[in-house]
Amino acid sequence: MARNKYDIDETLETPFNFAHFKRALVYVKKYRARIILALTLSAVSAVVSLLAPLITKEAIDTAIPNGDVWYIVILSVLFLLTIVVSVILGNIRQRIMTKAGQMMIYDIRKDLFAHLQDLPFQYYDDRPQGKILVRVVNYVNNVSDMLTNGIINFILEIFNIIFITIFMFALDARLALVIFAGVPVFVAVMIFLKNKQRRAWQQVSNKNSNQTAYLAESINCIRVTQSFARETENLGIFRRLSTAYRKAWMKAVTVNNFVGFSVDNIRAVVDSGLYFIGLLVIGYPAVSLGTIMSMSNYSSRFWQPIINIASLYNNFINTLAYLERIFETMDEPVTVKDSKDAYELPDIKGEVTFKNVTFAYEEGKNILENVSFTVKPGESVALVGPTGAGKTTIVNLISRFYNINDGAVLIDGHDISRVTLNSLRRQMGIMLQDSFIFSGSIENNIRYGKLDASMEEIRAAAKTVCADDFIMGLEKGYQTEMYEGGSQLSGGQKQLVSFARTLISDPKILILDEATSSIDAKTEKELQKGLNELLKGRTSFIIAHRLSTIKNCDKIMYINNKGITEAGTHDELMAKKGDYYKLYTAQSK
Amino acid sequence: MFQFKWMLGKMKGYRLIYAAALCLSVINQTFFLTGPMIVERIVSIFITDENALENIQTQRDLLIYLCVLMILFVFVRTCMQFLAKMLYEVVSQGVLQKVRNELFERIQNQDMHFFDTHTRGDLVTRLTGDLDMIRHSIAWIIMMVVESLALFLFTIIYFFTIDWIMTLCLLSLTPFIFLVTRMFSKRVGPRYVVLREKLSKLNTKAQENIAANRVVKAFAREEYEKEDFDKYSKDYCEFNQKAAMVWLTFQPYIETLAQGLWVVQMLVGGIFVINGRITMAEYTVFSGLLWTISNAMRNIGMLINDLQRFFASISKIIEVYYSRPDIVNDHNCENRERISGDISFEHVSMSFDGKQVLKDINLDIKDGETVVIMGATGSGKTTLMNLISRFYDATEGNVMVGGKNVKDYEPDLLRSNIGMTTQEVLLFSDTVDGNVAYGKSDLPEEDVVAFTHLASADFVEKMPEGYNTIIGERGVGLSGGQKQRIALARAMAIRPAILILDDTTSALDMETEKEIQNNLTKLDFDCTKLIIAQRTSSARYADRIVILEDGKIKECGTHAELMEKKGYYYSIYALQNGLSEEAV
Repeated sequence: MARNKYDIDETLETPFNFAHFKRALVYVKKYRARIILALTLSAVSAVVSLLAPLITKEAIDTAIPNGDVWYIVILSVLFLLTIVVSVILGNIRQRIMTKAGQMMIYDIRKDLFAHLQDLPFQYYDDRPQGKILVRVVNYVNNVSDMLTNGIINFILEIFNIIFITIFMFALDARLALVIFAGVPVFVAVMIFLKNKQRRAWQQVSNKNSNQTAYLAESINCIRVTQSFARETENLGIFRRLSTAYRKAWMKAVTVNNFVGFSVDNIRAVVDSGLYFIGLLVIGYPAVSLGTIMSMSNYSSRFWQPIINIASLYNNFINTLAYLERIFETMDEPVTVKDSKDAYELPDIKGEVTFKNVTFAYEEGKNILENVSFTVKPGESVALVGPTGAGKTTIVNLISRFYNINDGAVLIDGHDISRVTLNSLRRQMGIMLQDSFIFSGSIENNIRYGKLDASMEEIRAAAKTVCADDFIMGLEKGYQTEMYEGGSQLSGGQKQLVSFARTLISDPKILILDEATSSIDAKTEKELQKGLNELLKGRTSFIIAHRLSTIKNCDKIMYINNKGITEAGTHDELMAKKGDYYKLYTAQSK
Repeated sequence: MFQFKWMLGKMKGYRLIYAAALCLSVINQTFFLTGPMIVERIVSIFITDENALENIQTQRDLLIYLCVLMILFVFVRTCMQFLAKMLYEVVSQGVLQKVRNELFERIQNQDMHFFDTHTRGDLVTRLTGDLDMIRHSIAWIIMMVVESLALFLFTIIYFFTIDWIMTLCLLSLTPFIFLVTRMFSKRVGPRYVVLREKLSKLNTKAQENIAANRVVKAFAREEYEKEDFDKYSKDYCEFNQKAAMVWLTFQPYIETLAQGLWVVQMLVGGIFVINGRITMAEYTVFSGLLWTISNAMRNIGMLINDLQRFFASISKIIEVYYSRPDIVNDHNCENRERISGDISFEHVSMSFDGKQVLKDINLDIKDGETVVIMGATGSGKTTLMNLISRFYDATEGNVMVGGKNVKDYEPDLLRSNIGMTTQEVLLFSDTVDGNVAYGKSDLPEEDVVAFTHLASADFVEKMPEGYNTIIGERGVGLSGGQKQRIALARAMAIRPAILILDDTTSALDMETEKEIQNNLTKLDFDCTKLIIAQRTSSARYADRIVILEDGKIKECGTHAELMEKKGYYYSIYALQNGLSEEAV
């Protein structure tokens, strides 16, 4: 799918099918025992409640005409008893289903989230974050009722219909047919509405997603909006999106409300048809008046479940629009994953080899072509070159954030596409361009690199990257709670914290992608000292623009034109008087 | 009840329609009561009557008339019902959208402090799930209350006309219902408040995980994230169950009381019939209409449950609605005239959370000057810049722009004169074109191209769809340097009087940086340029260089002056050009 933005609807290619629903049943199946129990309880309670009409009938037919007050009292007690029993059964059923429903959405959310963790960068690059968020939280919340009570009620109503149908036909097939004649009409209406309804609810979920995406992004980028005084214009955009949502909603509920409308009217026609045909067309004595009377009772018992099913169906279609989105995300292919025979990468020394690597983010647009190089364990390599030439791409390939199109990336001779991702990435320390700070304490932010790190280790790592001073200067030191995104830290401070996080993971291969760009020269100098100590025995890849950082590396690779155009030590490359020489002298000019 | 009052206020413009919808609902309820009478007539005349067979022969027309009437009656009723339902939707969606837009507007106007204390996930929850409760309350809760109440009252009045003692006997159960629902309401309310918090936490966790997906992968922390998320997810689900269980604890009592009405009716009614106080026909009327009272009683519990949810959610909305930013921006400035780019800081000090970030800054910058600001990490460079755009107000002292205190400007006027790039580059999931023209959406195409070139962002033209390529949120898919250049183009494109570049070239290679520096001198408009940088290469050609240290101005002067001074700047310069000291 092409890249998405807030005002582009996400197209859903898969046609409407019950496969989605079947798939949802997988989650239901896990709680099969509970659902069957609940179903049984409902059935028993239905039977018990059948006693009520018998009791009242007995009161009217026997007790009252006989003036037998005691009998009425006894009947009342019995009546109360049946009520208590059916209420308790119903209550137990609801308890069971509430639990099952919550567990189901917990299961679905868990699977969805787990899958999201496995999805590659590309997935996140291609769509606004809000569109992902709305699926994980809002959509999942919407499906629980359908999967629990919806299913049970559906089954019960179906049984109801079957029983009543049998009774009706047993009583009088001709009149039963009259009542039944409404069914094809009803089905025709439903089929007519089905596609409209599905499309309408899909639109609702689309528009909702758009609206939420824009909202989330607006909150994310509020700084930019305010600094460009764009609030009024953005409000206009949001108004448009919320209007689109409202319109989609109105359309969908119009269709929904039409369902109830149709059923009621069909039923009215059928009922009057029953009297008309029963009394006038067939007529006495071919059909007894008592039969017609009973039939009209059955008619309402027959249509009530159908009305209920129609409203369940409405919910069902509505829920399906959400389920489709959830499953669509779960079906999103994990392009970067462990191969079938993947093995654990043993503890590495840190040799990195690229063998004729070709890579493209988009088909036909190669970023790298036939790149080959070897970095010995413990070497430090600087990647330089114009922005966008592919420096970050090269380091991303070492951690296998993307699959290469051709060639091989080897670490200590192991093809990284054949080892498990976890064992590979665990041994790498990557410091990204964006230094992300989690909400939570600074301590925990650093600990993210090594979950069992002690406070001493954390502090040592912070000291190495010269972050200890400023952290101790904060109100609660390492326990200072970070706002979302670490907004109370400066850009440089954020980089230092995420640097400490990388170091504490004790990687064999260290990748620093613009890790120090926002750090002032003095701090960087300090940092360098500690770092040099640390880099010993580790292979490191450094992307930086400051020549002071680059110069000290064992090897410098100049990346341009889809590959490495120059490689060597600083002195070698200076002697060559090529691109690197130009770059270097440019800064010193 | 403040919540309802607030919502009623928001329903302005829809109140009449809503009243009409409620009236329709009430009328509809009377139809519900009278509708079955037609069927009863058919049954009594043509089926149960002693002369039923005769009637069928003699009153054919009446039968047909009644059948047609029944169909018509239902048709009218369902049309009304349909209309009422649609009116509820019109009102609830209208109010929902209105409140949503208003909230969006208010959130946009909040200052930075607000965003530090409200997480994005939480705000999104408020504008989605919580807002939905407004719809639910208008289209469902209130409607149900009115409908149930109407039916209840109709029936009770009718019952009183038949037999008042019998009616009182039936009503004797209502105090118990009220007692139970009151207890329930008290117990369940706090649960929903907590549940609401749990949902917000879950949302925040998910949102942060999505935003941090690169870090998660870089550290291979997927399993950890799954476990962590699991905690929130489980917590939310368990609490959801608990809240539901409160309802299920009280539900049996309410349900038994509601159904108990039938027992009372049978017992008391039966005895009264035996005593001759009421007739058998009256007994039948009671039993025929009892469901209306029993439904009303049953609904009370459900409605109280929904109502408590509504309160928990709406309070969250009202909180955002009424939180007033310290820096108020009314957006009522029509003229966006150009102001002069003079800036002066007069004894400016700034503290955050009791920590002093800037101390007694005095600095005058003349219109058109280029000033580079350098200093250690955390020395207050960005804060200083934020004061110019008035993202924060200085704790002490005055910040003047164009000879006027920034507090005296309409924020829109002030900010539309400042082109700013932030350290952490934030782009929008929009086209390159849309991003560059963000500050001025009517920017002509050729200007977009021109500024993109000025920002040395020519790479755009090599992208698959050129300026129409959609770049991801936060500019993912672009390299750090590419993002910075688009942000730079965006800042320049508004042709501001003051251009502030916060570490904008840090991810750029030297050549590009040079090119940009060069381009900055060739802008087709005059502006004051404030540049925060780490590299001395950026500073060399500035009119002035300001060095900040611990929130104070340490050094200030031209490249030559500061080199002379052999202070911080000199040492940095030496450090960065260490290799070529001979060239200096």
